[in-house]
Amino acid sequence: MNNHDNSAGREWMSSPGSKIHAGDMVLLRLPNSDIRSIKTEKDSTVVVGKFGSFYANELIDQPYGLTYEIADKKLTIVPPRTLQEVEDTDATNELINDGEFVQPLTIDEIQVLKQSGVHASDIIKKQIEQHANYSLKTEYSKEKYKKRKEAKYSKSFTTIEPTLFNVCEYWFNKDQNRIRDLRADTLSQMLNLANIRPGGRYLVVDDASGMVVSGILERMGGEGRVLSICDTDSPPAYPVISHMNFNSSITDILVSLNWATAEEDYMPIIPPSDIPADQVKSERQKSRLNKRRAVTELLRSTREDLFSGEFNSLVIATEYDPYSVIERLAPYLGGSASIVVHNPHIQVLSDLQTKLRALPDYLCPTVTEAWLRRYQILPGRTHPMMAMSGSGGFLLHTIKVYDDPSASYVLTHRRQKTKKTKTETEEMGRVNGEASSRETNPQEQFKVDIAMS
Amino acid sequence: MWSTAREIAAGDVVIIWLTREVIQPLHITPGKDFNSKFGNYKHSDFIGIPYGSKVASRTGKGFIHILRPTPELWTLALPHRTQILYLADIAFITSWLNIKRGSRVIEAGTGSGSFSHSVARTVGSAGHLYSYEFHEARAKKASEEFKRHGMDDIVTLTHRNVCKEGFTIVDEADAVFLDLPAPWEAVDYAKTALRKDRTTRICCFSPCMEQVLRTVSALNEAGFTEITMYETLLRPHEVSLVPTLQPIAEVSEKLKKAEAKREEKRLQQIAANKTRSASMKRKREGGTEEDEDEAESKRVKTDDEDAGSKEESSSHLMTRESVEMLVDEEATPMASRAPSLAPPGKMSVSKALPEVRGHTSYLTFACLVPSSTFSAPPPIAAAEAAAPNVEASSSDKIDA
Repeated sequence: MNNHDNSAGREWMSSPGSKIHAGDMVLLRLPNSDIRSIKTEKDSTVVVGKFGSFYANELIDQPYGLTYEIADKKLTIVPPRTLQEVEDTDATNELINDGEFVQPLTIDEIQVLKQSGVHASDIIKKQIEQHANYSLKTEYSKEKYKKRKEAKYSKSFTTIEPTLFNVCEYWFNKDQNRIRDLRADTLSQMLNLANIRPGGRYLVVDDASGMVVSGILERMGGEGRVLSICDTDSPPAYPVISHMNFNSSITDILVSLNWATAEEDYMPIIPPSDIPADQVKSERQKSRLNKRRAVTELLRSTREDLFSGEFNSLVIATEYDPYSVIERLAPYLGGSASIVVHNPHIQVLSDLQTKLRALPDYLCPTVTEAWLRRYQILPGRTHPMMAMSGSGGFLLHTIKVYDDPSASYVLTHRRQKTKKTKTETEEMGRVNGEASSRETNPQEQFKVDIAMS
Repeated sequence: MWSTAREIAAGDVVIIWLTREVIQPLHITPGKDFNSKFGNYKHSDFIGIPYGSKVASRTGKGFIHILRPTPELWTLALPHRTQILYLADIAFITSWLNIKRGSRVIEAGTGSGSFSHSVARTVGSAGHLYSYEFHEARAKKASEEFKRHGMDDIVTLTHRNVCKEGFTIVDEADAVFLDLPAPWEAVDYAKTALRKDRTTRICCFSPCMEQVLRTVSALNEAGFTEITMYETLLRPHEVSLVPTLQPIAEVSEKLKKAEAKREEKRLQQIAANKTRSASMKRKREGGTEEDEDEAESKRVKTDDEDAGSKEESSSHLMTRESVEMLVDEEATPMASRAPSLAPPGKMSVSKALPEVRGHTSYLTFACLVPSSTFSAPPPIAAAEAAAPNVEASSSDKIDA
């Protein structure tokens, strides 16, 4: 890890991920704002539906973020769009009625124009010329019209850099369920709350297609250790990771166990791999044995790593009971470690919070929800988006602490007196439940515990 | 940056968690005391105990938790010199600006250093934060703080007004964050500082819409693209354990019982009145018929039961029995449906806190794409809307 520090001065000059490599998964934004995921396999042809196709080699080694136009399967870089002021005119839609016949240019005629290779901008120009009411439109409306037409005819796209934000947004819009409603803002809060930094050691439970693991890996940049625990027999397939285009130096720090192999008394059923050399019959058998040995060794060292404990944080986005996950993994956390749990349902986290706050090992479990609003930014037309994501899920955050049963609340003696005279121990249990239902200064919480003991 | 050792050592900066509202930093200095309403402690008592420990005060009354500092805890504990950024904004900005290990980031101004700590943690020693603060005293304080927190190899703090003098680096930064009253004045300088061989990003943090509009124009003129704006907030939820909710059948049962009880009372009263009048009658020896009539007018609906003045006590008993029977009959099926006699079940419920932060600032973002050779004029549609679905709001429904 030292070499990172030494080379820090120059390393940024060639930071990976800024350029498109052969074999990368690349997200393209099409003129109609759809996002398409393609693979830039060397010497292949990439097809983007009605927007045409192009040679993948045209994209390889290009920086991300540029806009291209497709012509004859070749790409031409076009300058990025800038915002333009729209002049206010007196035009209104007073004289424009729905359902009027305004466009004499037929679909067939447009088809002929398209096939003859006329540039999108010329087709649109022609449509505007023929449009009966175009001149009646407001300038805003004219611009919208042109934009809509362009989305239809323009054969262009923009490459989207696979930043964590962009990849999360892509998955959230494409299939929110598969990432358990984990929105980019909520994900970034998880990474911050879990104090993810290069060089840390983290436990992760990710049933969100690898969205959380991707975030952690990206933040760590190949320094530290990520141990993920999954519900599958084989190492987990995290489909989101493939969109991040990590090179192996980033993903090498990820190891995984499953819920069986993560048990301390688990006895692996391993076929023998230590066969005397003279009994090895073929090269194939030899390599098979070597592979088996490597797998066994990885399992052993990963388990050892987990059981050695002192992990810095536990990050959970699980479909299983989160309390059972915490119960199992919290013993491997160091003092003051963060525990962050994401769930699409607040009920799950409410129940979890109720359970955790009754225990002295978890400091102030807190449930929050992220709220996000995006705005359209156009000169003279700035307003919040009409559509807004309802929820990016809920978070519970708490800190693991070491209890000291001898410590007592400042005011215990006073409280204790009044309660002891009034109630029996049995009823104290009830009081405890009710008292802790109001959240919760840990000291407040503690005094009840003391009073009970 | 901060200790990563398991145990606390002299010279460490730790976070003292007193309550959820009272969280403060402490520089462990042997010989010093820490006193609070949660007890008295000696710094030297903390040395050698693991981070995350609950520590009882020397008198045994009161305790504190000693935590390892994280930028998130620091945000809650730091001494405010200015308005600061909180988790929701910091996390979102970090994510949108693609700040990660190795990133080279510009921040202006430094303020109270809430964002600085978070960025320094995230970029690590392979990255770098260039922080600029135009207020000399604040710059000095922040600089001392960064040194004390072992961040001075990651952060370079410069005392300067970037709106007038620009930044100290050229073609180097991956991301720029401007938390300035007039960020538009620094946009051109930011462009100079950003590297041009890859897509870079900028965020301007302004509380007012008017500032946003000026910033957007400046970004647009400077050639930034993908300009967009967000607002993000954190809604804390309060969880409480409450008895499971009562079905209305139980309420109606309660009301019926109350009604029956009222009726019983009424009958008792009538019976009592009768007894009284009867005894008065007896006293007067054969009262007039008028008295009888008076009594009759008082007892409404009880004529059937009026079996004579001598049997008043038994009729009273009967009435009570019948009332009880009535209640029992109706209550029994209820009880089998919802065991109201069993200790009531509990459930966890949550709601957003009654008062939450409603606005921090608008986050205006933009990209600067690598400046290759574009020469062709932009195509027809000049403006780029931030998203497609907005178009649905249009009043313009012309054209198919």
